Amino acid sequence: MSIVKDIGHTEKAFKTDEMIINMGPQHPSTHGVLRLILTLNGEIVKNCEPVIGYLHRGMEWLGQNRTYVQYQALVDRVDYLAGMSDSHAYIMAVEKIAGIQVPLRAEYIRVICTELNRIISHLLWLGIFMLDLGAMFGFPFYTFRDRETILSFLEEVSGQRMMFNYIRIGGVFKDLPKGWTKKVKKWLTTEFVNYIDEYEAIATKNPIFLVRTQGIGYLDPKLALNRGVTGPSLRASGINIDLRKYKPYSVYDKLNFNIPTSTVGDTNARYQCRIQELRETAKLVVEAIDKLPGGDTEDLEKNRAELTSGENPTYKAEDLMFIAKGKNVPMGFKCGPGEAYAAVESPRGQLGVHLIADGTSVPYRIKWRSPSYNNTSILPDLIKGHPVSDVVAIFSSLDVILPDVDR
Amino acid sequence: MNLLTKTIDGCYNIFRGLFTVFKHIARNPITSAYPDVVPELYPQTRHRLALTVNPDTGEHLCIACKQCERICPDTCITVIGDPEKKGTIKDFYLDHGLCMFCGLCTEVCPTNCIINTVDFEMSEYTREDLIYDIDRLTLTQEQSRFYFDFKEMPKPRPKPEKKPAPVQTQTEAPKPQPAASARGGEKKS
Repeated sequence: MSIVKDIGHTEKAFKTDEMIINMGPQHPSTHGVLRLILTLNGEIVKNCEPVIGYLHRGMEWLGQNRTYVQYQALVDRVDYLAGMSDSHAYIMAVEKIAGIQVPLRAEYIRVICTELNRIISHLLWLGIFMLDLGAMFGFPFYTFRDRETILSFLEEVSGQRMMFNYIRIGGVFKDLPKGWTKKVKKWLTTEFVNYIDEYEAIATKNPIFLVRTQGIGYLDPKLALNRGVTGPSLRASGINIDLRKYKPYSVYDKLNFNIPTSTVGDTNARYQCRIQELRETAKLVVEAIDKLPGGDTEDLEKNRAELTSGENPTYKAEDLMFIAKGKNVPMGFKCGPGEAYAAVESPRGQLGVHLIADGTSVPYRIKWRSPSYNNTSILPDLIKGHPVSDVVAIFSSLDVILPDVDR
Repeated sequence: MNLLTKTIDGCYNIFRGLFTVFKHIARNPITSAYPDVVPELYPQTRHRLALTVNPDTGEHLCIACKQCERICPDTCITVIGDPEKKGTIKDFYLDHGLCMFCGLCTEVCPTNCIINTVDFEMSEYTREDLIYDIDRLTLTQEQSRFYFDFKEMPKPRPKPEKKPAPVQTQTEAPKPQPAASARGGEKKS
């Protein structure tokens, strides 16, 4: 107690100069290349100015110089930890303009893969968040171990580990491999649940972790709404907005799942929301696999006649396809003229694509609404008045990824 | 009392975490010993591109239709058809330095000629070495047979004598210069 008093005394007695330091762009805890110009008074942050744009690749301009089919291979790079969500948003916008009806089975496969991708993204966030808090050795390896398993699942489906290029105009690239659904379901229900318990045993009630997170970086719900913050960061502040429930796209309205929320709004609440979302997402994937039209791929041919024939067939014949008829050869796709906005709930928040088509095979204009950009904008408000050591913790808890900010 | 329960609770939770970590001491390592143990790859895995030959006759499968050249987002493929004999390939340049392994070329190929192999070790000392010509791209007959079985692709039918008309018109005008090297030169400068 006396030390605190002494510091207060010296602040009044001696005139202290403010110091400006640069954090980044090569700082390891800025999740890419973000530069923060911090104005410090002693160790307390007085002002913060984020500088972005170091990772600008011109994704929008690249899209306007490539055909729709060529660009779909590039959109995975917008947010490389959640490539499925990026593809999903872009393809949904194209399908809205072209008026393509996606088969039901393809929609379910999309949901399964996107939700697995959400688990990957949250697992990486969890490891890096603990790393930023100082849990240097061990914890990231646990999350990366499980991330590796899901990456190999998605590699088996799509062909690559992160740049999937799997969701295509009219459906998906290929049907799920044989035996894949059973493997994923078994892993999620028997092993992954125990792994989440393991993370929680290490972190959730650890007193050092609680001191570093509780009451740090309070996000006011009103401020969050005004700045357009979305995703788990917003839901941790008590506003339950999730596009999967709020404006259901794809087949999310046919699935039962909960959206974890919290009303506390600090760093710990954001951690809790994401951990709960991991559990919910694992359940959602299992449910989607159970409801998959036509069942597992190895039984599909056997079930097809039974499901589509009869007086009242369960599904129409085209529901059981993985890509709409005539769209499996990606040459010469044209759409428009028209304008569409499609948004999905990516692991970081609402990810939207605004697309204007003029009838040729090249998009006229593409605009990305990336969640990380808006989530970064509240950083100066959150870290004002906190010591420098909390800057990394607060920034990490927002789950911002810089390629998504700069595009 | 509050402080006492807090201390006990804190100690319990710290030791609970430590116990979880210590449980991992006896288990096998989760990392893979890569150069010794080759990772398991799947039929759809997209790595180095290659051209197949007919596994039965050894005939080159490329018909110089240039679909892959047209769809490539990075313009890394240059197909030069034989002007003497239509529907046959003279040269084929593929710049793996530009390629992003999206796999679109393998999808549009009508004869399953261009495929993604499972070979991912292709480091070179210069960028020019990454531009593969037709000799380095073409697989042997045994390798082609392996990939046709591995990827479950339909076996190629014997070449028909008459080709469809649009293929012929495209093959008549070969590009004088490989586009891949031109694009690469722009980027470097």
